Parts: sequence; structure tokens; C-alpha cells
Amino acid sequence: MSTMSLEPVRGRTDEMIVNMGPQHPATHGVLRVVLGLEGERITRAVPHIGYLHRNHEKIEEARSYPQVIAYTDRMDYVSGTQNELPFVLAVEDMLGIEVPDRAKKIRTMFFELYRLASHLVWMGTAMLDLGAISPFLYTFWDREIILGIVEKTAGARMLPNYYTFGGVRRDVHPDFFKDTADFLDHMERRMVDYEHLVLESPVVHARTIGVGVLSKERAIARGVSGPVLRASGVAYDVRKAFPYDAYPDVEFEIPTSPDGDTYARFWVRFQEMYQSIRILRQLVELTPKTGPHKGKAPARIKPPAGERYRAVENSRGELGVLVVSDGTDKPYRVKHRGAAFSNLQIVPDLFVGAKFSDSIAILSSLDPVFGEIDR
Amino acid sequence: MSLLQEVWQAVKAIGTGMATVHKRVYEDAPTEFYPYVKPDLPPVSVQSLALVENEDGSERCIVCLQCERACPAQVITIERHRNPEGKGFLIDRFDIDLVNCMYCAACVEACPVSSIVTIQDFEMSTYDLQTLKADIDFLHEQARRARQWYSPKFGVELRTEDGRIEKAPPEMQPGGLAELLKPAEEVDS
Repeated sequence: MSTMSLEPVRGRTDEMIVNMGPQHPATHGVLRVVLGLEGERITRAVPHIGYLHRNHEKIEEARSYPQVIAYTDRMDYVSGTQNELPFVLAVEDMLGIEVPDRAKKIRTMFFELYRLASHLVWMGTAMLDLGAISPFLYTFWDREIILGIVEKTAGARMLPNYYTFGGVRRDVHPDFFKDTADFLDHMERRMVDYEHLVLESPVVHARTIGVGVLSKERAIARGVSGPVLRASGVAYDVRKAFPYDAYPDVEFEIPTSPDGDTYARFWVRFQEMYQSIRILRQLVELTPKTGPHKGKAPARIKPPAGERYRAVENSRGELGVLVVSDGTDKPYRVKHRGAAFSNLQIVPDLFVGAKFSDSIAILSSLDPVFGEIDR
Repeated sequence: MSLLQEVWQAVKAIGTGMATVHKRVYEDAPTEFYPYVKPDLPPVSVQSLALVENEDGSERCIVCLQCERACPAQVITIERHRNPEGKGFLIDRFDIDLVNCMYCAACVEACPVSSIVTIQDFEMSTYDLQTLKADIDFLHEQARRARQWYSPKFGVELRTEDGRIEKAPPEMQPGGLAELLKPAEEVDS
């Protein structure tokens, strides 16, 4: 038998081995966890991934640089253009392409719109895992508006292939800024409802407070990032630590919580949505309505030999990419550092000792997306 | 926490939840009754690809193979031969495997003559995947059926009732093109 699977311990008859997934509706995709159960308590947990493996990194070695952008979209399919940015930034650095100020701001606006969309999907599915159905319907309603705004400009809803070297592919739709401002007004009203339904609900309190506590030291040692890390009390955010695009121009805070439990991770994501609304409000005012949307980029993208690592803070944490160029028009190696993949490493830590029903709440608070984890 | 407090908390939570649900009941539904109401898609929306011919039925495509080179999924196959009379090339074969196409519209960006365009026809479900392996006749038929299409070079184009192709008015053009097409005095004001 392989070392990956759980074997029954000789002489222990009280432990039951249960296979959760890969088709379980609460695993947010195709995660399979083999659990050792002692009554309701989880004694051992071994996660298995790879059911959605599509060989992204190897395919990208055989594609030219502009073609790779279309493939990066397919990793974290919930947060659209956020995946394109690290690769685009890395290649821009290698080639020394100047990005116009307006293009940077448009990119940042799309980035934050997709953060809102992604957190809305998380909120709906997390509440679905806890047994509430109506928040799911309401969050997808609001996400529909975001995807409509994106489709008007970029032509697609989830996989827009919109960023390009030196800026964005085409100028925004004339209604873009007005639509976004209207949506932010709508979203601020809706956030009050979501606070009532999610953060203030006694059912959510009972299911999440004190469940799946991740200590600060353990979080740093396991290399988690994003809202999961910030809920454990570490104020690390790539947007502040290594600013990119238009983030130096806008004011925002990094919400952190010292508790590290499932409720803290819910709370941090909520506060991030408020910060996204705040950033978008500033950018609607700051972005010039007309101007260049794309800088001068060479027709054939051939970065000089060398390598470059760039990271961005996407909805789940630090999404990085290492691009190695050998001077040809195809990358020698593209290595993605997935945020959801790194966050999934704490699943055995958090599951052991928890009750079986709590494992569902813990998993949904990590917000895994399997397109990115399995790549 | 006493029992009374717990009961009060539960009643309050149910009350807030029901109040929120009640508020939403009277809002307009975000969904559409799809087969009866067709969604109003923006002109840039990438739903399918088509190969546009000129008004006189001649080929717009100049067989430069730019789309074949740009395609990330490598689903475009083109074969050509040199035109015996005159210059340029003639098409022997122009296939797009719409099953494996990922609708990134990189081919549309690359086309120098706006021959390959994106259209809004999304109703492509079929029982047999082989029917979506599009050849040149399929792609021409898609373009003949389409009322409007989009390409970055020419913007949105419309097909009129009598079969002519004309450029859409500026207010229908998305993005920077609308700014370009506006009369000069409007931009200044």
C-alpha cells in the first residue's frame, strides 16, 4: 500500500476510516481526504489532491509568452484576471516595459472587482456548507453584476484574458466607471444584510468560534498566506509589503485578527471586502477617463535570458510566478506559487482533534479552489 | 447564558433572516427566462467565432496565418496555396476545432483584416462533438447568420436587412473606439 493512504492500526477496532471526497459537495471541488474517525473526533487526516491536474506548467513551456496569459486564467477560475497579473508583471520586468499610469489603475480596478467576486462566492459556499441556502443565492446575484461589468469591457465573464504586456488589451467600456460606482453603492447596502446573515448569526457563532484554531507560529511555519494568515494575527499583505500597479496610490488597511479560529477567517474576509470597496471608490475618482490603456511593448516578446519572481495578493493569498527565460520566444520554465495550494497544507493540522462536522466549516474557511491547487 | 436569553437570540436571528428574505422578494430577479427571453449580450462578448466574407461574397481572409500562430490552444489549421493569377494566397482548408477552443479571442486580436471575428451566438450545444469541428463553410455560415460582430481593428459591424455590411454607430462601439469615433468638438467640451 502506498504511504499516502491511511492503514488501519492493528488491534484498534474503535477507529473507523472514512473517505471524504473527491465527489463530496462540501469539498469545493475534487479534494479527497481520508479521515480516521474515533466516534465524532478526527484522529488522522490525509488529503489527496490532483484530480483536476491539467499540466499547466508543462504546457506553458511550449507556448509563446502572449499565449501563456490565456492559460494562467484557467488556474483560479473564481478570480479571473488576478492570475494573469504576476506573469505579466514578471515579463514586463524582464523586458523593461513601461506601463502607463492609467493602465495600472484599470488593472487594479479589475483586480479588486474580482476580489469582491471571489469573496462573494466564498461567502455563499461557506454558508451553504454550514447549512444556509439563501446567502448563496444573494451572493451569486451580486457577483452576476460584477461579471456583467467585466464582460462589457473584456468580452468574457470568468476567463477574460484581459491583461497584456504593457497594460490591458482594450480600453474600458465608456460606462465602466459609472457601472462600478453604481455597483459599489449597491454593494454597500448589501454588506449590511450580509453582516446580519453571516457575521451576526448565532448559528454561525456556534459553528465557528473556537473551531480550527491556527496559531501564529504554526501559520508561519506552514507557509500559509492571505486571509488565513491574517486571521492568525500576522499583518502580511503583498499589496503593502511589495506594492505593485496602483496600490501605492490608494489608502487601505490590512485587517488582522489575533484569534486564528474559523470565525476570525470569516471576519477577515468580510473586512477585506470593505477594504476592496474603499480601494475601488478611490480608483473610480483617481483614474483618468481617457488616456492610454497600453504602453509600448515589442511585437515579439523575447525576454533576455534570466529569471524573475513576482507575486501579487490575490483573493486567497500570495500568488507568485517564477519565469525563467532562455532568450527565445517561449519561457524555459514557468513555476506558479499557488496561494490556495499552500493554504491547503494546514488541513491535517486543523482537522486532527476537530469534530467531523467541524471539518466542513474549517475547509470552507480556507476557501480552496481546485483549479489552482491541482493546476 | 440563561435559557430565556438563548431563546431570545434564536428568535432574533430568525427574525433578521426573514426580514432580509422579505426585502429581496420585491426586488427584480437577476435571472432571465432563458429560452423565451434571450440575454442582451455586450457586442464584445466572446461566444463563438466566425469568418466574415465581403459583401460581394469574396473572401476577406488573406491567409496570413497570424491567427494560427497566435492561438494558445492550437486549434486553428490552415492550408493555402499561391494564387496562380495575381498575388496573395488562396485557402485550401480553414478549420477551427471549436470543441478545444478556449474562446480567448487571441486570433481575433491578431487578424490584420478583421476576417475572423467574435459573434454572440452561444447556442452551440450538440449531441455530437464532431459537429463542432468547424470547417470554412461552417464558419462562413456562422457569419451569414450573425447580425453583428466585433473585431478590435474595425470595431462592431452590423449586417443590414439587404445583406450589406456597415460599421455600427459610435454609441454601439465599446472601449476606446467610441472615443476615437466621436466628433472632435465633443471630445473638447
